Amino acid sequence: MKTKSSHFFNLQDSAFKYLLIGLSLLVVALFATIAYVLIDRSSYAVINNGAQFLLGTIWDVSREVYGAAPAILGTVVSASLAVLLAIPVSLGISIYFTEYAPRRARFYLSIFVDLLAAIPSVIYGIWGLWIIAPLIKVYVQQPIIGVIGWIPLFSGPAYGISISLATFVLTIMVIPIITSLSTELLSRTPMSLKEGMNSLGATKWETVRHVGLPFARLGTFAAIILGLGRAFGETMAVTMVIGNSYQWPFTTSSLFSPATTITSKIASELYEAFSTLQLSSLLELSLALLVISLAINITSRVIINRISKRGFS
Amino acid sequence: MRVISRKMTDRLMKYLSLLVTVAAITPLVWIIASIISNGASVLSWEFLTSLPKPFGESGGGIGNAILGTFIINALASVWSIPMGVAIGIYLSEYDRGSKLGAVVRTAIESLSGVPSIIFGVFAFTLIVLTVRHYTALAAALALGLMMIPLVAKATEESMKVVSEDVREAAIALGIPKWARTVKIVLSLARGGVLSGALLAFARISGETAPLLFTALFSFFWPIGLDQPMATLQVMIYNYALSGFSDWVSKAWGASLILMLIVLTINVAVRGVTRQKYAEGT
Amino acid sequence: METKLEIKNLNAWFGEKQALKNINIKILEKSVTAVIGPSGCGKSTFIRCINRMHEVTSGAKVSGEVLLDGADIYTSMDAMDVRRKVGMVFQKPNPFPNMSIADNVVAGLKLLGGYKKEELAELAEKNLKAVGLWGEVKDELKKSGASLSGGQQQRLCIARALAMEPEVILMDEPTSALDPASTVKIEELVKRLKEYTTILIITHNVQQAARVSDMTAFFYLGELIEFSETRDIFEAPKNALTERYITGRFG
Repeated sequence: MKTKSSHFFNLQDSAFKYLLIGLSLLVVALFATIAYVLIDRSSYAVINNGAQFLLGTIWDVSREVYGAAPAILGTVVSASLAVLLAIPVSLGISIYFTEYAPRRARFYLSIFVDLLAAIPSVIYGIWGLWIIAPLIKVYVQQPIIGVIGWIPLFSGPAYGISISLATFVLTIMVIPIITSLSTELLSRTPMSLKEGMNSLGATKWETVRHVGLPFARLGTFAAIILGLGRAFGETMAVTMVIGNSYQWPFTTSSLFSPATTITSKIASELYEAFSTLQLSSLLELSLALLVISLAINITSRVIINRISKRGFS
Repeated sequence: MRVISRKMTDRLMKYLSLLVTVAAITPLVWIIASIISNGASVLSWEFLTSLPKPFGESGGGIGNAILGTFIINALASVWSIPMGVAIGIYLSEYDRGSKLGAVVRTAIESLSGVPSIIFGVFAFTLIVLTVRHYTALAAALALGLMMIPLVAKATEESMKVVSEDVREAAIALGIPKWARTVKIVLSLARGGVLSGALLAFARISGETAPLLFTALFSFFWPIGLDQPMATLQVMIYNYALSGFSDWVSKAWGASLILMLIVLTINVAVRGVTRQKYAEGT
Repeated sequence: METKLEIKNLNAWFGEKQALKNINIKILEKSVTAVIGPSGCGKSTFIRCINRMHEVTSGAKVSGEVLLDGADIYTSMDAMDVRRKVGMVFQKPNPFPNMSIADNVVAGLKLLGGYKKEELAELAEKNLKAVGLWGEVKDELKKSGASLSGGQQQRLCIARALAMEPEVILMDEPTSALDPASTVKIEELVKRLKEYTTILIITHNVQQAARVSDMTAFFYLGELIEFSETRDIFEAPKNALTERYITGRFG
């Protein structure tokens, strides 16, 4: 048998191993670079804008005043509402999938949910802008304004594109995220617990309610947080249907008013940013978004890790 | 009486959950229907292969955008897929709970939690501002960064599933570790790795935010990798917002092409993997 | 006959737990040695120390000497070299599923490199013939290694180990997962193979040990209790424990 010396193979093995380690470290370095660049380039704005950045309601490039409160509120309100609205829908889908759906339907159902998640956000945007906005304007906003428009929250005029439309589109986009995780958790309810309920004569709903859902509680919470993170970071769909206006919520608090979010602000202004302070302020916004998103992501992963270690309970 | 109402509650929940499911699927169907109905009428050979006309003029097409999307995706894939696979191999076969492994995992998880626009901002700041012009290479950096965690996770998971028996047989033959990792374990895992790479490719095809300040847009055929480049996603964004009815129609046409690409890859990959697991569930 | 393997003061641990205690044994070349004993007695650990597979498990430790043709496999050779000279066949047949039958046989050689296609094809045929598989698979050489029956897969694994021209072949209960017909074929094969190489075979089936081996080693709780010619062990065991095991009164 022909043999090369083992020395040669050991060299090959070392080279390969160090190649893998090198590339892995490169990715760590890239991530660190992202954080560094954002922190470095936004420091100018952080110093100059101060606390007014978070509290100020005016963003005026010519006067070099950069208050981001409307954008921050736009993000927080639209994302939180979207997640709240998505929870019952996602749970409903999970319950239907695991308890009531016929076997063959499950295969197609899971593909549909995956497809909802796979649709590019710019396509949610064009659909929201050109199909839904006109419909919402005429069939939802105008009638409501007609009846209760004297309440500031529902006051006109009706634009179609608005904070409420953005919330609606975000809800649809968040649903598949929560659904896929909660469905998996629900289907992993231990058979012994389910059989216990069955032997007592419990209905499917009762089993889900008393055994399945409590079992899936923690993981579903993690999924909700993950969905919140996604909604915070969503850019295109929101930008195309929200109207990009600073008037909400401080000039008008109406749900039908155009508004803006952190991501929309960055998306619409960054490539025309001229002054150093404007650029730096937009980077400050980016940094804020990055920090929030990472915090949300880490929280969710920690919870999920803890569950899988404890065996899903 | 109590038994009847319990049964009724169960029935109620069944139909309620079904209703909610249908409600959630409706937008999917509606979106696909809208795209087909608005986009199909715009499709033509000229549309698919010619350059766009300036604002206000009708005619022209999205040829450069289709080409640009593929070029930028290819650029992003060429560096990120090998990196993702390498990291996946490291995490699966070489990491034994070491600190380095934990750091790498954290970095990968963190990367996957970063909103896509931040990658665009990063590439813009690092490259575009430095070289003072928009460039497709910056887009390749941003999109590649998004692909890495997807490919790495898919690789790690597929390799971990390979049975220990096979590794033991390879060790017992005296084969060097790199050969057994690549030619045996990775080879057995290649289905999962390929699915992961394809899904990552589909995912970045749908991402627009990172392109807005990197590749920007162009009305011409791609001239160089270090120049701005048109893509389907940015075209849809710009054209849909323009208000110019000819452009809005073209945006629908471009949406149809983009959807075809993204949905085909997703259905093909997920359909195959679900079938494999559905049989066992 | 010469001594092929000399094991001196071999001790092995899994972390804190000691699995082998002071094993001393000499294995002669071209012999078949059966390794028997109740579960947990250290038989697997013992043979895995001979091809340096034991140390692959995390937390595993070894002390003592294992001399192959006079050279200590732990200090004078690289682990990869050892494994090329000492082949192994596992309890559950494990052909490489992503390789054809022919490629499986020469996998160890092919992945080392340096062989031409024709050489590999010849070697595949030669070793398949040696294990008696050639007739059954010669028209299907391109099919996946995993497409064969259990008994055929195991013979394929033996062919794969043989192709490396090893000095010693270790077999860890090679027939316990197989049907009786395949078991017979493999037992015959083992008896034929000792013409070419030295074999250590773990078996929990005491009759199998009696059928195939020249020497038998009885292990109990990590110690080597008795080692002598198979006929002697079965007809006149010196140790009470050995006798109880052989007559089936425990384990």
